[in-house]
Amino acid sequence: MPDEMRISFTLNGTQRTAMIKSRHTLADVLRDEFGCTGVHLGCEQGVCGACTVVFNGRTARACLLLGVQADGTSIVTIEGMPSETGELHLLQQTFSSAHGLQCGFCTPGMIITAAELIHEVPAPTETQIREALSGNLCRCTGYANIVLAVRRAAEAGGPDRGTSWPEGASGLSDDAAQSHGGAPDD
Amino acid sequence: MTSYIGKDVARFEDLRFVTGTGTYIADIRLAGTADVCFVRSLWPHAHCLTIDADAARRADGVVAVLTAADLAGLVLPFSRQFYSNIDPILEAEYGLWIGPYRAPVLASGKVRRVGEPLAMVIAADRYLAEDAAELVDVTAEPIAPVLNPDEALHPDAPVLHDDLPSNVHAEFTVEVGDPVGAYDQAQCHIEQRFRVRRSNGCPIETRGVIAQFDAATRQLTVWSNTQTPHTLRGYLAEMLRLREDAIRVIKPDMGGSFGGAIYPEEVAVAAAAIVLGRPVRWIEDRQENLANARHSRDQWHEIRVGYNLDGKIVTLIDDVIADSGAYNPFNVTLSFNAASHIRNQFDIDNLRVHARHVLTNKQPTTPVRGAGRTEATFVMDRIVDLIAADLEMDPADIRMRNLIPASEMPRDMGMYYRNGRRLIYDSGDYPAQLRSALEKIGYASFRQRQQEARRAGRYLGIGISSHVEGSGYGPFEGAIVRIDGSGKVNVACGSSPHGQSHETVLAQVCAEVLDVPPDEISVRTGDTSLLPYGGGTYGSRSAVTAGNAVHLAAVKLRKRVVEVAAEVLGTGSDRLTLQGGRIFDLANPASCVTFWDLARAATPGSGMTATPGLEASAYYVPPTVTFASGTHIAIVEVDPSLASVKVRQYVVVDDCGTMLNPMIVEGQQHGGVAHGIGNALLEEACYDSDGQFTTGSFLDYLLPAATDIPHIDVVHESHPSPLNPLGVKGTGEGGATSPPAAVLNAVADALRPLRLELTEIPLSPLRLFLDIEAAGG
Repeated sequence: MPDEMRISFTLNGTQRTAMIKSRHTLADVLRDEFGCTGVHLGCEQGVCGACTVVFNGRTARACLLLGVQADGTSIVTIEGMPSETGELHLLQQTFSSAHGLQCGFCTPGMIITAAELIHEVPAPTETQIREALSGNLCRCTGYANIVLAVRRAAEAGGPDRGTSWPEGASGLSDDAAQSHGGAPDD
Repeated sequence: MTSYIGKDVARFEDLRFVTGTGTYIADIRLAGTADVCFVRSLWPHAHCLTIDADAARRADGVVAVLTAADLAGLVLPFSRQFYSNIDPILEAEYGLWIGPYRAPVLASGKVRRVGEPLAMVIAADRYLAEDAAELVDVTAEPIAPVLNPDEALHPDAPVLHDDLPSNVHAEFTVEVGDPVGAYDQAQCHIEQRFRVRRSNGCPIETRGVIAQFDAATRQLTVWSNTQTPHTLRGYLAEMLRLREDAIRVIKPDMGGSFGGAIYPEEVAVAAAAIVLGRPVRWIEDRQENLANARHSRDQWHEIRVGYNLDGKIVTLIDDVIADSGAYNPFNVTLSFNAASHIRNQFDIDNLRVHARHVLTNKQPTTPVRGAGRTEATFVMDRIVDLIAADLEMDPADIRMRNLIPASEMPRDMGMYYRNGRRLIYDSGDYPAQLRSALEKIGYASFRQRQQEARRAGRYLGIGISSHVEGSGYGPFEGAIVRIDGSGKVNVACGSSPHGQSHETVLAQVCAEVLDVPPDEISVRTGDTSLLPYGGGTYGSRSAVTAGNAVHLAAVKLRKRVVEVAAEVLGTGSDRLTLQGGRIFDLANPASCVTFWDLARAATPGSGMTATPGLEASAYYVPPTVTFASGTHIAIVEVDPSLASVKVRQYVVVDDCGTMLNPMIVEGQQHGGVAHGIGNALLEEACYDSDGQFTTGSFLDYLLPAATDIPHIDVVHESHPSPLNPLGVKGTGEGGATSPPAAVLNAVADALRPLRLELTEIPLSPLRLFLDIEAAGG
């Protein structure tokens, strides 16, 4: 593999091109080449979820991908979370109103993960919310108000109510819907 | 007047965080920045012989490799501990002894732990710096490591520091009443050894430092995600031998912390910026963070408790060993906190705590959320349950029998606190708190629920823990409140947040006094150029110390505002009212001035006021700590076949005095409880028998996830503190103090026939499995 490669991809709805180091992670490329510093690096081990982005319509950990894998894809970061109402994404609003964040470091990854959940399961149970968020670590909130924020967004939301999921979503597989089926609340 | 204190005001800092536009340390971009990778010790204990960096210096993109030798003329080692101003009363009363303290910035000669920084490889980017770091060749002659206090206290153990006679670095004995006599006279006795294992503070953001030195003006600017910018400035001035006004420390947005210190990396990066004359940046990775930042707990408590057949606890004798790791930067903070809080909410007249800080070849232990209280509370509340089991009494009854009644507040606990003041519980109603918690969780009906579950093959258990928390540690906090040229109110404060919502809460405090909506008040923190003195955020102190500093400054400014208005309006200030950003004569409301008018009037040279300026500064110096408290009840379900524990229900009754913003108080409680549940069941920082650190990833070090934490009910039973103008008590750490005891008591209750002793946290599935097996379950 050459040291450098050219990538061309859609970032937050805009076509972007760059020459990047082929060994650099997607997270570093998004942060350093494209200024998307809302992609936070908490562990670079694929565990904490702070660097979660939308990669071809599905959540992915930008720390576990290489930048060159972005070539030809569509990526949305927290900076590009769309809202058809032109306001903040509903989850961005409910995270604040429910006090679902303190230091804010895990928040971009949480919001993107929660947006995917609501897209796939419009009325999730508390167990489903906790399962969906279980790959995103938060040290500040004890998750209580994050769960509340997601529930409020799901209750208030809908595709035309500011909980939209980025264009380019690859359509739901049955597996995806199943994966959030989960156990009943306990 | 509109009341802004006590309202659930949504946070002003949220907008930038939910949109990903906050500026954390790694988001700062300075042209020409070089990245640091630290070369760290691979040995827990060794004579470090040589560091050969020639190959690294020649590597692609490398700017420099700096070792201790390269910094020798520039940087002094750490020679001063935190909280080093020990009140002489503690030495006189408790025989407090603290050994000499000297810790390197970059080690040379001897390394004392795996991970100790040896050299900095500085390159064009972090990738290149990491590549080159692998080329640095360090040779060393290993010394036998001492990895636990038993080894370290052995007469033949290698001594870590040449200037100490042994591996004990600090020691004291607190004695209240006649603990030994009371023990001899008590009707019943329990002796038990408890262990609170080592864990990490673990913010989701790792540490980071950026430093820039302007050689022309000899100005050093350091960005660091520190809890204490002013303290860092002081250390940098001392250790780099710079004037204090030549250093500016800036704390950007900060992704959590949960325990503060001044780290060698902060000084090393600043020194590198001076040497290289270009911006130097170090952003830690997670493996580095888990091994080298914010280790805590790691205490052993050898307990003897005497009690009577009616359940009354009469004496407590505790021999504490704090495993401090290779250096002990916080002297007796953690052990003295344990000694001061171990009697919890209970009326125990006799106490003896003998504590020793023992040095071992591991990362230093420093305060993390709870900071000695979590350890002491775990020990005390497990004991209460062991007593209940021994006497076959209900733990809730035993607790109620021993609680200090509200009628005895304030209660002098018969000893001195770490600040040299009397340890006095200033306010609270502990019995009411317990009753409230019991009611909220449905304690009365739980036994029936438990029996029904048991018949269905499910093991439910319930556990109680309470705590007290000396909060708002001094010596001071500062604030400046001013009205700027646009008539807007600005607050600057020396305490800065890493999630605590200063921008909102301090605005509420200021708004209350100046009667301006809080969203019109800007709050700036985290910059030593804002005000000359600052404390920081630690020890559940910001609401108490920063809140009252802002309050006092705002009161002074309000007085000044009215004085200036009187000059402008040509009336007596006693006739004026301040309301909604306007100052007017009640008898003639049409004649009024706004803050904007006053800003004009107070401009120097306006000719409208005798003295210019609309600004007031205040430093709040608390008389001592104020005691917050809480009672927690957990309901857990244990699956004995898997030795797994699931926390099903959790209730917190919290007394943090006046709540400035209840929504934010609850958030602090939630986060603390999750941290405490992590300590109870999951989190352990481990070294193997060779002294190698083995929990260097989040797959090894288990933080609680959303699925590990139940819904948490928080009930407020507020008794305002009589010690400060706002009546506030701290709330940052209480949440993390009781969960280990509540959860383990609940596990013991779920498996009560096995009479498990459960003397260690974290209670991992393996430990519980072994306990169940040993009990014949």
